[in-house]
Amino acid sequence: MGALRAARLAVVAGAFAVAGIAPAVAGAQDNATVTLTIGLTQDLASPNVTVGYLVSDFEVWNLQYAALTNKAADDFETIPGLAESWDVSDDGLTVTYHLREGLLWSDGEPLTADDVVYTIERSRDEEWFNHYATVQNLTAEAPDTTTVVLTSSVPDPKLPTMDVYILPKHIYEQYDADAIGDYDAMDGVASGAYSLKEWNAGQGWTMVRNPNYFGPDNGIDQIVFRLFTNVSAEVAALETGEIDAAHNLDASAFEQLTGKDHIVTVAGLQGGFTELGWNGGASGLGDGHPALLDPAVRQAIFHAVDRNVILNRVSAGLGAVGTTISVSADPSWIPDLGDENWAYDPDLSRQLLDDAGFVDADGDGVRDMPDGSRSLTFRIVQKADSAADAAIVEFVSGWLEQIGIATDVSTMDEDTLFEAQASAEYDLFTWGWTPYVDPDIMLSYFTCAQVTTDPDEPGWNDANWCNEEYDALYEQQKVELDEDARREIVAEMLKLFNREAPYLVLTMDPDLQAYRTDRFTGWTQQPAGTGPVLFNNSSPTYDNLRAVGAEPPANTDGPEATTPDGGTAPAAPAPTTPADDDDGFPVVPVVIGVAAVVVLGGLIVALKRRGSSDERE
Amino acid sequence: MTPRFVTGKVLGSLGTLAFVLVVNFFLFRVVTDDPIGKMFRGRNVTPAQLERRRQQFGLDGTKWEQFWSYVSQTVRGNLGDSIASGRPVTTEIRAVLWPTIFLVGTGTLLAMGIGVLFGIYAGWRRGSKFDVGSSTFSMLTYSVPDFWLGMLLLIVFSVKLHWFPVGGFQDSGSTATGLAALLDQAHHMVLPAVTLALAYIGEYAIVTRAALIDTVNEDYLQLARAKGLRDAQVRRRHAVPNALLPVVSLSAINFGFVLSGAIAVESIYSWPGLGRATLRAINGPDFPMLQGLFLLFSASLIVANLVVDLLYAWLDPRVAA
Repeated sequence: MGALRAARLAVVAGAFAVAGIAPAVAGAQDNATVTLTIGLTQDLASPNVTVGYLVSDFEVWNLQYAALTNKAADDFETIPGLAESWDVSDDGLTVTYHLREGLLWSDGEPLTADDVVYTIERSRDEEWFNHYATVQNLTAEAPDTTTVVLTSSVPDPKLPTMDVYILPKHIYEQYDADAIGDYDAMDGVASGAYSLKEWNAGQGWTMVRNPNYFGPDNGIDQIVFRLFTNVSAEVAALETGEIDAAHNLDASAFEQLTGKDHIVTVAGLQGGFTELGWNGGASGLGDGHPALLDPAVRQAIFHAVDRNVILNRVSAGLGAVGTTISVSADPSWIPDLGDENWAYDPDLSRQLLDDAGFVDADGDGVRDMPDGSRSLTFRIVQKADSAADAAIVEFVSGWLEQIGIATDVSTMDEDTLFEAQASAEYDLFTWGWTPYVDPDIMLSYFTCAQVTTDPDEPGWNDANWCNEEYDALYEQQKVELDEDARREIVAEMLKLFNREAPYLVLTMDPDLQAYRTDRFTGWTQQPAGTGPVLFNNSSPTYDNLRAVGAEPPANTDGPEATTPDGGTAPAAPAPTTPADDDDGFPVVPVVIGVAAVVVLGGLIVALKRRGSSDERE
Repeated sequence: MTPRFVTGKVLGSLGTLAFVLVVNFFLFRVVTDDPIGKMFRGRNVTPAQLERRRQQFGLDGTKWEQFWSYVSQTVRGNLGDSIASGRPVTTEIRAVLWPTIFLVGTGTLLAMGIGVLFGIYAGWRRGSKFDVGSSTFSMLTYSVPDFWLGMLLLIVFSVKLHWFPVGGFQDSGSTATGLAALLDQAHHMVLPAVTLALAYIGEYAIVTRAALIDTVNEDYLQLARAKGLRDAQVRRRHAVPNALLPVVSLSAINFGFVLSGAIAVESIYSWPGLGRATLRAINGPDFPMLQGLFLLFSASLIVANLVVDLLYAWLDPRVAA
């Protein structure tokens, strides 16, 4: 048989082999294990809490590590976590937390006040990436195994909320400050409902039930997070039931799924927004357009923008029209602006510009500075990686043209925009933020201290705006321990921010998600009614989920046991522990590949030999 | 093939690699020289913490200091740590290397096998029905963008017919082991491999056909026929071996692209390979990852080129003379 014939046969046989075995293995899965599968498009950065920073990382940590306190699903109220109660001292500086009795890590080791003190003290000393901002002013002590006393060196209105992840001391003390950054954090030792068992970069990760979890038993043995790079494929997987829920959808996928049988779509808001910002010139650096320093020009721009059009035409109506900056995932922090909201009114815009002396002096159709020194031509940046941004900028440019302001659109990726902002070489831009639950961090971005004065050490104040009154209020709210009083100060700050108009908040941007209702129930929005069901602040869905038809379990005093009531828990199916299989090494492809290489190698050698034998003939 | 010829080729390849090493550093820093600020924008971290991250990833000194530390660690085989994950770049790349090799390797081999056969039969009987049919097919699949073809196959065979999974490398959360796991992986690989194969069959078919047409009227084939050899023997023994030289070089070059050539297909089928890792690194931008990946891509292409040169010299000794 000639080499060519052999190659031909090998190719044909290979194709048949692969196609033939295909349908036979479809859906081969262990039915004894109750598995919840969630599709998403964002891989983990790192499961190590001192390294990771992505939303997906936080979802893993929310499941794996309980904190002293948790947040209610409905309204983010501080509720028991590892601590079942706490006492706050009169001066507000000291909080004594009482841990639940008999807490265990998933590996059976006792979880005590010692673990809490260890985590807080060490994360403060070593300035752990995700812990430090919360614990920097704290000292922790453990008078006994179930009591933790935290003392803050400054009044801290965030207390008694203490939502940093508590880590297992018996694992982490093996890694010193130099080694901890390289630790892969695949120990799987959990205090939360699930522990990370396996993570295959690019494919997804699997979390298994923690038998020692103090919260309610949802009867779900494992949660698989499956990665997609293609949202259409993710949609298809949800429709076919390969996955139970889908995160990171886009607007067209969302519309496609809306109204389908057994599928519920959620456009969940948790404070994220898109703004039109401008260069306020506070740093004294760069080359921002001087007209933007005139409040009349800012107001004119903002009255010229029709935010309803942006919501409906760019965001497909998903989300909400913006008001002022949203500083918290909890919408109750945003005050009612009344008639101070920037209503769409281009006639008023023209009037404001005319009154302030910005008229078209040279007759080129573009207004000029009152002294005629330059025209009102603003650079506007659209972000390179965002189709929505391009559309927004196009709309905004059109609206500005109608009031006699010209724009010069440039496209930048986020890094370049960030650098342009640091050096203050920009006029208008669009970008967005997503706040935490406590408003302090978002509020801090617009203080004078965050204005970039050295481009090599950029601050976060990308409005390049500085206001002494705002700063004074910021310092007040930072130490105001009375929540109502603090809410009033924050409301005042936001109204001031809105009046001064360093940002026009265009839209509130939703997380687009969808879930199936035929396998699991209990999907929980945080906050109630408006928030997402997954990848939200404290991930309450997982405690509330139940397999459809399963008996509601006994309510332990878990943090989120708000849905099913009464009943006794069915004996949880014994988690079938999969044997430690190969590490995903793809043997079949190897075999096929090697076979093909052998055949082709044979082909070449045969040709070569045949060539020389022909010469000999 | 003289030792001098081989040494020259190897040194040339090393020189190219050194050039790539230098270019890689500056290539990604044209976009930005500080990915840290944007990467952690809006996170609950202090400026001092960000400054420490910059130091940790060697982004704090002058560009020349950064360059020298990059070169000195790279020549020692240390590609640095990924900014996004904090893990060594070599670990990150190793995790996604094999899925790409097997997917693109299988796709390329399929394309090569089928394409070469198409080309041989089409070229041998130029103008026949088979030639017209296969040439049309080749031109069609060659001109269709692979991402479009991939979406089409995905919609038809996964979404509508449910024959294959919609993506991934294996069933998620599968506890299968042994043969079941292998079959599962093969099942997942069918659509992406077929997409890649279809996208490249045309290239091989067209090149092979053209090469064979060139040899069909050579005198030595007339001689072979005059010796009384059957038509199939003439084709197999005398025409094909001489026509395959350009195919060999095309194949080797394509194997050089195996590592970098499937970004679109990997994205469509959520295949956990180098293509996805590259997209992710670009979004950072994760300099150390990008440098590592592009060094790998360039190195594989350079090695493939070297192999072509040496193989050519071996198959056709006139080249090295």
